[in-house]
Amino acid sequence: MTEGLTILGKTVFDTLFIDYRIMVITAIISIILFLVGMYIQLDKWGRGIPEGATKPLGAWGALKLIISRIFEKGIGHALEVIILDVAFQRRTFRRRKLEWLMHILIFWGWIGLFILTVVAAAAEFYGPFVLGAEYEFFVGVWKSLELPNNIFGYMLVAGIAIAIIRRLFFRSKDVQARNADVDWILIIGLLIVVITGFYAQGIREAAGVERELISAYEINAPGFFNNITVLFHEVFTLLFCVAYLPFSKYLHIITAPLTIMVNHGGE
Amino acid sequence: MAKEKPSINTVNFNAAQLMEFDACTRCGECVKYCPTYDARDKSQDIEPRDKILRWRSFMNRSFGLKARLFGPDKIPPEEIKKFTDDLYNCTTCGMCGTVCPAGINTIELWESTRANLVKHGTGPYGKQSLFPKLIEEGHNPYLKQQKDRLAWMTPDIKIADKSDIAYFIGCTAGYNQQVLGVSTARILNKLNVPFMALGEDEWCCGSALIRTGQQHINDTPKKAAIHNVEALKAKGAKRVIFACAGCFRAAKIDWPRAYGKALPFEAIHMSQFLAEQLEAGKIKWEKSLDKTVTYHDPCHLGRHVGVFEEPRKVIKSMPGIKLVEMKRNRKEQRCCGAGGGVKAGIPDLAMGVAKGRVNDAKETGAEALISTCPFCRRNLLDGRDELKLDMSVDDLVVLTANLMGLSTDVKPPAPGAPKESISDLFRTQTIPPKPVEPKKEAPKTEAPKAETPKAETPKIEKK
Repeated sequence: MTEGLTILGKTVFDTLFIDYRIMVITAIISIILFLVGMYIQLDKWGRGIPEGATKPLGAWGALKLIISRIFEKGIGHALEVIILDVAFQRRTFRRRKLEWLMHILIFWGWIGLFILTVVAAAAEFYGPFVLGAEYEFFVGVWKSLELPNNIFGYMLVAGIAIAIIRRLFFRSKDVQARNADVDWILIIGLLIVVITGFYAQGIREAAGVERELISAYEINAPGFFNNITVLFHEVFTLLFCVAYLPFSKYLHIITAPLTIMVNHGGE
Repeated sequence: MAKEKPSINTVNFNAAQLMEFDACTRCGECVKYCPTYDARDKSQDIEPRDKILRWRSFMNRSFGLKARLFGPDKIPPEEIKKFTDDLYNCTTCGMCGTVCPAGINTIELWESTRANLVKHGTGPYGKQSLFPKLIEEGHNPYLKQQKDRLAWMTPDIKIADKSDIAYFIGCTAGYNQQVLGVSTARILNKLNVPFMALGEDEWCCGSALIRTGQQHINDTPKKAAIHNVEALKAKGAKRVIFACAGCFRAAKIDWPRAYGKALPFEAIHMSQFLAEQLEAGKIKWEKSLDKTVTYHDPCHLGRHVGVFEEPRKVIKSMPGIKLVEMKRNRKEQRCCGAGGGVKAGIPDLAMGVAKGRVNDAKETGAEALISTCPFCRRNLLDGRDELKLDMSVDDLVVLTANLMGLSTDVKPPAPGAPKESISDLFRTQTIPPKPVEPKKEAPKTEAPKAETPKAETPKIEKK
């Protein structure tokens, strides 16, 4: 075992306690799959030939059209829609309070954890590469993110719990779509992310991340180091929440807000 | 091996619309409000959501990842035909878009999908295929003569040759609902508002073609829009009044697109004009009517354009009238069932939806159901008759004219004239029964095909 991963002569501290190489490779694969998936979707949308046009716009033309439509009523109006209809999900709030709560919890829980993960990953590189800091810098950032991480994690759990309860006990309230059972793939997938995530966090906290010196791992390797569940959590989360997104019902996380923005709030 | 060609294509969609198919979260909110889904015994095939998901599936099977890697799936023609028929079982009322949490613009989506399917060869539905020929050749969908555009005029009505205010009468009021034409004209005369009309120069607004996805056929609606706009402009119109919600919607939304720029005049609905005149103190009520009425928001005036309060303002100001609201009103109103080409193409569906709306009105205990669209009026009258209810169905303009002390009588109706020719609320006239025609021998030649407009004569309805 090493203290961390040596990249360009700098040590990136392995304080997330997984094999960083697996994490980085999985992340790169996931991001590539995500981008390819999104490109395929954009290319599909870009095949549209509206009345009067002679050829399709193509993927980049579609992206350009979507962006220009979002801002065609001005930045102020676009911001209003982004805040009220995307962030606050006003249209859902007006009609479906329980579903709104579920969506807000899952949406913000997911977004929050995603942002914190990016911040933590950035801190890992920012410390040694920019500040020339030792591992304490990352540990400090990591500890400061603990509370928001827990809050977003619990939000996600609560949202998923509502989703499950709705589907089990309030199913008759809504008319079900054909093949609605496919929703369970997403719910169970998110549940796996959350359960393994809490487990990973639990064993990190129990070991006391701030007290453990990575250099001591070889003598006294903590139980979480390269723990198979922790590793599974990281890999599964990347594949399920990033790579799988453009190919699944999850796509609506991107397309529904874009549609609201393109249609200026849907009014 | 050469890859197979996709079974569908993407013409008539823009990129944002194709994205919208992927934005449906399948929540089913639209299903709760869809009037045609209700009228079709809650058939899943009719759900707006199901239509979106089916086209999404067609798209993915034709252009998705698997299609890119291994070639498109073949979609059986009967599956596309079934989808087309289900898609036309829709009045394009837009309720689904109003309640959609993802804000999908369903009205435009249905119209684009219909246009795509017409080009594909599976649309439109039934008699709707007669619209292009009728409107292109006769400038109206009723097989009437252009010279009869103002045939409803009575000697007391004054129409100016030139004026900055125009009344765009529309085919339905001009030919079939003369009571609406005479009432509008008499109100304007009484208010000393000089107005002109295009008469023979007025062409169909094109709504029926656009709603049924046939706008591209000879570009008829575009030509009609440009013709109407230019004709109104040439006569100096600064404000154009529409008493038909369908024509008004076309003028507000479809005409500027066809014209390529903003219209050179203001388009205003008669209910807005009346509200304006009321506010200016120009309307003097001369009669009172002790009735409880309820107001039906036409989709084309309300949800499509956003006029909700002006008609209510006028009704509330009427002496003796008590306005009660239906449970579903304003943005959440239930469609009358006539729009989207349904009245012409699928009359039983139009009737089913109309009965739903008339029952909404019945629940309020209202004695009269008032609307601001001749097409809603016609279909709601049919629904009322089918349900055999003792409830009047009429237009706000007719009610206004009567309470302003004006006659709503039309020229003596011809025997067998449609019931909507005269006022339903103020029955001062009767329609003589149609004389029984002697039985003709059946023609020996083969019956003409449905595509031949002359075979289908007058019962064509538009919207």
